[in-house]
Order: sequence, then structure tokens, then C-alpha cells
Amino acid sequence: MRIDQIKTGAVLVVKPMDKRIDASSATAFKAKIADLIQGGEKRIVLNLSEVDFIDSTGLGAIVSSLKAMGGEGDLVICNPRETVMSLFRLTRMNRVFQILPSEEEAVASLSKT
Amino acid sequence: MDQPLNNTKTGLATSILWHLKYSLGKDIAKATKRDYFEPLCMTVRDHLIAGMIETERRYVQEDRKRVYYLSMEFLIGRSLGNNLLNLQLYEAFQDALAEQGLDIEELREEERDAPLGNGGLGRLAACFLDSMATLGIAGFGYGLHYEYGLFKQEIEDGYQKEKPDFWPSRQDPWEIERADEACVVPLYGRIEHGIDRQGLYNPMWLDWQVIVGVPYDMPIVGYGGTTVNYLRLYAARASSEFSTEIFNDGDYFRAVEEKIAAETVSKVLYPADTFAAGRELRLIQEYFLVACAVRDVVRRYLRTHTTFDAFSEKTAMQMNDTHPALTVVELMRLFVDEYELPWERAWELTVGTLGYTNHTLLSEALEKWPVSLLEKVLPRHLQIIYEINRRLLEEVKHRWPGDLDRMRRMSLIEEGPEKKVRMAHLAITGSHAVNGVSALHSELIKKALVPDFHELWPERFSNKTNGITPRRWLLKANPLLAGLITRTIGADWITDLDCLRGLEPYAVDPVFQQEFMDVKKKNKETLREVVFATTGIVIDADTLFDVQAKRIHEYKRQLLKILYIIHEYLLMTEDGLTPLIPRTHIFAGKAAPGYWQAKQIIKLINSLGDVINNDRRVGNMMKVVFIPDYRVSLAEKIIPAADLSEQISTAGTEASGTGNMKFSLNGALTIGTLDGANIEIMEEVGEENIHIFGLKIAEVEKYKQSGSYDPWEWYHHHDVIGRVMDTFRDDRFSPREPGLFRWVFDRILNEGDYYFHLPDFLHYIESQGQVDRDYQDQSLWARKAILNVARMGKFSSDRTIREYGRDIWGVI
Repeated sequence: MRIDQIKTGAVLVVKPMDKRIDASSATAFKAKIADLIQGGEKRIVLNLSEVDFIDSTGLGAIVSSLKAMGGEGDLVICNPRETVMSLFRLTRMNRVFQILPSEEEAVASLSKT
Repeated sequence: MDQPLNNTKTGLATSILWHLKYSLGKDIAKATKRDYFEPLCMTVRDHLIAGMIETERRYVQEDRKRVYYLSMEFLIGRSLGNNLLNLQLYEAFQDALAEQGLDIEELREEERDAPLGNGGLGRLAACFLDSMATLGIAGFGYGLHYEYGLFKQEIEDGYQKEKPDFWPSRQDPWEIERADEACVVPLYGRIEHGIDRQGLYNPMWLDWQVIVGVPYDMPIVGYGGTTVNYLRLYAARASSEFSTEIFNDGDYFRAVEEKIAAETVSKVLYPADTFAAGRELRLIQEYFLVACAVRDVVRRYLRTHTTFDAFSEKTAMQMNDTHPALTVVELMRLFVDEYELPWERAWELTVGTLGYTNHTLLSEALEKWPVSLLEKVLPRHLQIIYEINRRLLEEVKHRWPGDLDRMRRMSLIEEGPEKKVRMAHLAITGSHAVNGVSALHSELIKKALVPDFHELWPERFSNKTNGITPRRWLLKANPLLAGLITRTIGADWITDLDCLRGLEPYAVDPVFQQEFMDVKKKNKETLREVVFATTGIVIDADTLFDVQAKRIHEYKRQLLKILYIIHEYLLMTEDGLTPLIPRTHIFAGKAAPGYWQAKQIIKLINSLGDVINNDRRVGNMMKVVFIPDYRVSLAEKIIPAADLSEQISTAGTEASGTGNMKFSLNGALTIGTLDGANIEIMEEVGEENIHIFGLKIAEVEKYKQSGSYDPWEWYHHHDVIGRVMDTFRDDRFSPREPGLFRWVFDRILNEGDYYFHLPDFLHYIESQGQVDRDYQDQSLWARKAILNVARMGKFSSDRTIREYGRDIWGVI
């Protein structure tokens, strides 16, 4: 899975570049985020602007990533497309994650904390 | 591009030829007659599409309230003839085809029935679509795009054999695929109990699998062509991400298997009219329909609204039986989970939107899904059902403190070794309107089926007596009679069936009577050809055609008619008596594949026919035929030809019936019990124009409650009964297969005769005797038959839909 990373101050923006996060890529995605967290990244923005579809395994990987933070720091999601947003709503994951419309807002939100 | 379509003879012919060449790639010079069927449909479809687009523009412009009719079944039958008549282009197309040397009626026979239903419930849904479009209501059907509709029935050695009916075998000429409006439906998975960012309980539905619902729209044109609504049928498709991982692992076959599994959801219509308990696939089918429909309805609403404030003012959803009862839960899930509405507001919108039509009192047909199955397939929905139930029981407790029995009776959850969700209770709780389908049935719902709910919410309950569309069941099915009526009283009856009252003065006019009977005779001759072509049996159009055509079920009592046939046969062969009039006993209907007794009844009818039709002592005085593969297009040939309509269910078992209405509208007299809509038919046509017999519902109930009915008593006290029953014991109709029909003897005498054949039998014989006497006097018979037609106005589905529209949907 191709993932772009940009560090803005204390905040790391992670941007999956594949169209889908699904059973075939979720494990790699989860491992990558786990590595980042273990490497000390505690403020992560997940930019989903390139993603068309996330299946239930992919959504599970995102939940696991939040859990892996162990309550220290935060993972904020930004720029989801409507198809992806509807899946967050379906699972009620939108109530667990802060979801913001733009990367700037997400970075600003995490920068405050 | 937006040119109006050319309705002239030349314009239509040009369009047909254009489609033949460019849509189908056929060389016109080499085209056969059959090659013209699809181009003809495509040309008609052009007109439907033009009307559909125009209708939708109008609805959006007027911000019309939309009605969505959710049904697991839509028994459409053929569409070409109906579409041509409703577009009022039949003659124009007839002329256009004639110029090419083609007969429109021959081409119409090329069309296959869309068999997307079992019987009355599905046909009712189809009639309602026709009426909604004719009345200009923004009403749309939502159902499933089954690949295999109801099975094709073949008769082998007298037995029903079920053969798959693949529909559509070719691309259906009427439907339009709307891949761009496909939706994703989640299934299975688990609930992860967590907390949200506010620290509140937040159940997350995770690990689900998805299937994709792809809609296909079938245009539904109202009479006159002004309104073209649609029937939206969802096909299940595998979601592409479903199999990505497996494909990547290189296991191509597993990927294909999973794709097939997903697409199984809309593969086949369940062929039973009873509840398929424990069938996971059926539950998934029901949810698939509901999930696709709810997403589509909400999406459509949000195109023109930014909040849900006006949702129930602009949307009505009708649940045709409990099959789509999960709509209650899915709407709540959508409002609460996805749109974050407070529970109370979501509930208000849900109840304000939904209506529920009950179709049965038979306990075996009432849906109850095991909690364990729901937990597996729809874990989040089960949580919501529990919450709805908790609030319901709070309300019950508040109203009747300490009445634990009542709480147990009303709970959505039936306790027992296996907990089950009572879908009828769910549907009633989540709807602002609950209706039965005949006056008697609606009373029984209130008094016997769910009296506690009626006591809690009396304002929700009402009756909406079923109806049939006169366009399909008279104008199209019986063009000769329709023509005679129109020539006599004008064409207003087509959209206002009460106008048929104008025929009453003609009921005593000898000239009209003769014309009427001539039409009947011609229809009987047509049916005679069908009978010969399908069974090889020669019948006589000068005999009385005594018809029982409907699903084969013990409660509908095909056995009662069989007892009567045997009685008459014994009178002729043992007592040497000659009947007053010759009769042809005609049966048609399918039995659920798993219903042993029903399938044996078909065998019994065919065995009776083998014996009776070949007995020289009987000669032409009696024939017994079973016409195979009863379906809408066959009904359109049988019903116009019937003299006598058998509607003889045990009182209290038939919710309404609509076959009874179709026969009567086509000039058959009814012999029937005081059951379902027969009662209202009697009220309309007059007691003197219908043959009513048998136990009333109170008498049946009294027998049941007191346990005083002993079939053996009837057997011993009435020689007539004993003699008929003994034929089953003595293998009279299965001489080469001893014991074959012994089960009838046992079922009625040793197993209690659950459907009360014997107490009704003697009355039935008497009533049939009166039929004989009436039929002897052809002028009297004609008068009664004409009065039946003239007084059928109430049973137009236009009247039914007006009542739904006014009382339940708020669109009239």
C-alpha cells in the first residue's frame, strides 16, 4: 500500500494513496500506522482524500490504530469522500473519530492539543 | 434531441424497423415475424421512458409526496398489452404492424410472464401500481429482481413437477438498469461496545460483509399515459472489494464462489405462501429489499430537502405484509446511527412514514424470526429491536400496570425454548396505520389476531378492501366484453368502475343478454383451445364452466369441490341419475413444492379426470380438467371464460381473495362461503345473484372452541358423505395404486378435518343444485351474470388506492 507522509510541526499527516483500504491492504496499513505510533508519533492526521472505499476490515484497521495510541494523543480523519463518510456513519465510527473537512483544519485541531 | 415521439402509424412503423436494425442488428430483409417482438417492445418503451422523465420533472416541480410500496412480490405477468392499452396506442401499433404484415396479437404471445410472485399478495401489488399511476399518485413499487421467479408447473403422471422459470431469460425489454444508483448493503458482523467522543455508549457495527444492490426500473404507465411511475427491482451483486483479497491470493475459484454467494440473494423467489422459518437466505432477502429501498428513499428525499423535518410529510412507505417489516428498524438505524437524530424524533418520523398491511391470520404464515439468526445476520438491528421493545413495554406497563400477561402477549420478543421476534408486532408498533384487506379480515385482526394492540392504538387500525385493476382484468383480459360494455354505456368505466352500474337496465334486455352470452361463449371457445393444447382433453363450450383457479391449499378447499365432483359422478354411475346440466370442472393453480397434501390434491384432480373423462356412462355430462402452470397470462384466458367461480374457503381463513373479484367482473356467478371479500361481493351484487353456503365464522369458532365437531358423526349420519368418503378408502380413483388417496380419508375423518369440509358439504351440494337450476334458465343466468358485472365498481383497485391515499398516505 502506498502511503504519503508529511510532518507539520508535531503533527504527522498520513495519506493513503490507494483507492481502497480493504482486506488486501488493511494489514499492511495497520502495521504501518503501528510502526509510526511506536516510533513516537502521537498526533496523526489520516487524510482519506484519495480513498474511494474502505471495507469493514479497513475500518477495523483504523479503529485498531486509534486503540494502539492507548489514549495518548489523537488520530483525526480529514477529507473523506462521501462514500467513505457514509461507511463511517453506518458503523458509528464517526462518533469515535474527529472528522474534519480539510487537512488544514485537522492539523490545526491537533496542533492545539 | 428532445423531439416528441411520433405516434402516427408511419412513425411507429419507422421506429420499430429502426430498433430492429440498430438496436438488435438484424437485417430487415431477413427478419422473421418473431424478430419483431423486441423492436416492438423497444418502441413502446421509448414512449414509456418519455412519459417517465416528464412525470419525474412534474413531481420534482410540485414537490410531491411520494409513496413507496415495498413488497417481496410483484406478480406483473405480461406488460406489452397492458402498456399499449394504457398508453392508448393499441390501435396505432396494430395498424403499424399490419402494414408490415404482422399481427399484434401473435406478437403479444411471444412475451413471457414476469413471475415475480406467488399469488394474491403479489398480484395485488401489481394492480396497485397500475392504479397509483392511473390516479396520478407519485407511487413506486420496490421489490427484488429475482432471476428465478415462481417455478413453472408441469404435470407428469398427474403430479406437479416444478421446473425453474428463469426470468428474464433474455434482457427484459421493459427494464432499465440504473447501475449509477446502486447501493451497498452490509450484513453479518459484530457489535463493538465502545464510547464516543462525548463519553456516551457507542455500539459500532464492525466486520460486516457487503453486497451491492443494483436497481432495475420497470416503467408503470397509468391509463391515458399522463403518469408513468416505475417499479424498482433490486438485483444483488457481489461488491468488487468482496473478493479482492482472495483474487490476490490467487484463489480464483473461491473468489467466484463468494461472488455467486452474494448474488444468490436475489436468485430465487421463495415458492411458498407460508413463512419460511429459519431460512437465513429469506431473512437476508427481506433485509436486502428493505436496506436498498430505505437508502434510495432517503437519498431521493435529501435531493430536495436539507433536513428531515418534512420527511413524513413528503414520504409514505407501505409494507405489504410483514416481509418488509425490518423497514421499521432500518429507518430507525439510519436516522439514529447515520444521521444522529435523537431516538424520539427518529421514532416520530418512522411511525409517521410507515403503514402496514396485514394479509393473513393463518398462524403458520405469521413471520417470527429467531433472535439468534437476527443476531448473526443483523446484530445492530437486533439491538434496535430490543430498544423498541423496551419502550413499547414501558408504554404497556404505564397503561396497564401489573398486567404481566398482556406484556408477554404484546412483546416483540416471543419467549420460549427459542426466542423469536414477532414481525407483525414490530410492523404494528412502527406504523401509524395498520390495515386488513377485507371488512371481515380487518375485524378479525382487531378482535382475534392482535386485540391488545387494537386496545392500545385503536386509531391505527382500519380496513382497505382489496381491489383489482379493471384495465388488466377487463379491458385487456376480456376485450370482447370490454367492447360490448363500451359500446353500450361508453368508456368511462375504464377509470371509474362505478359507471358499470349503467349496465343494470340492460340486464333484462334480451338483445343485450344474447350479446353478453355470445361473448361468454366465444371466451369459452378460446379456453377450450387452451385446454386442448395443454392437456389434450376435449371440452364442450356449451357446458357450464365451473372454475376453481388459485393456489392449491387445504384452506381454499379444492377438496370440497372434489367431494362434490365425486358425489355427482356417483349419482350418475351408481344411481343412474342424469344431472340437470352438463358441467366442465376446471382447476388451475400451483402447490408450494414442500406442501405434500397440496401436491397430492393436484394428483387427485388428475386421477379423477382420468376416471371420469373416460367413463362412457358420464359422456359429455361431466369433464374434469387441470390446466397446468397457472399464471397471470393464463388467468387472463380462464377468468373471462368462467360461468361459475368457486370461492369456497373455510370461513375465517381467506383474508380477502381477489380472484373472486376478477371472476365476477367478467360475468361469472360466485358460489362461495361467507369469507374474505365474498361477503362484500354479496352485499354489492345482491344475495339473489350469488350462491352463498356454509358455516359462518362464528359457527366455525364455536365448533373449534367447544371441540364438538366430530367428522365421524357426519360420516355415519349422512349416507351421501359416507359414500363419497369411502371412495378414498376403497381406491376408486387409484385402482392401480392402492392406498394412494387414503390420506384424504384419514385427513378428514381421523385427523379432525381442520378445514370443516364435511359440515359444509351438504350445504354445498344444495347450493350447486340451485346453480344447476339457474343455469337451465339462460335468460335468468344472463341477468344475474350481467348484474354481477354491473355491481363490481367497489372492487376496482382505484377505489382501494384512493382509500389508502386518503386515509394512510395523505396524498389525496
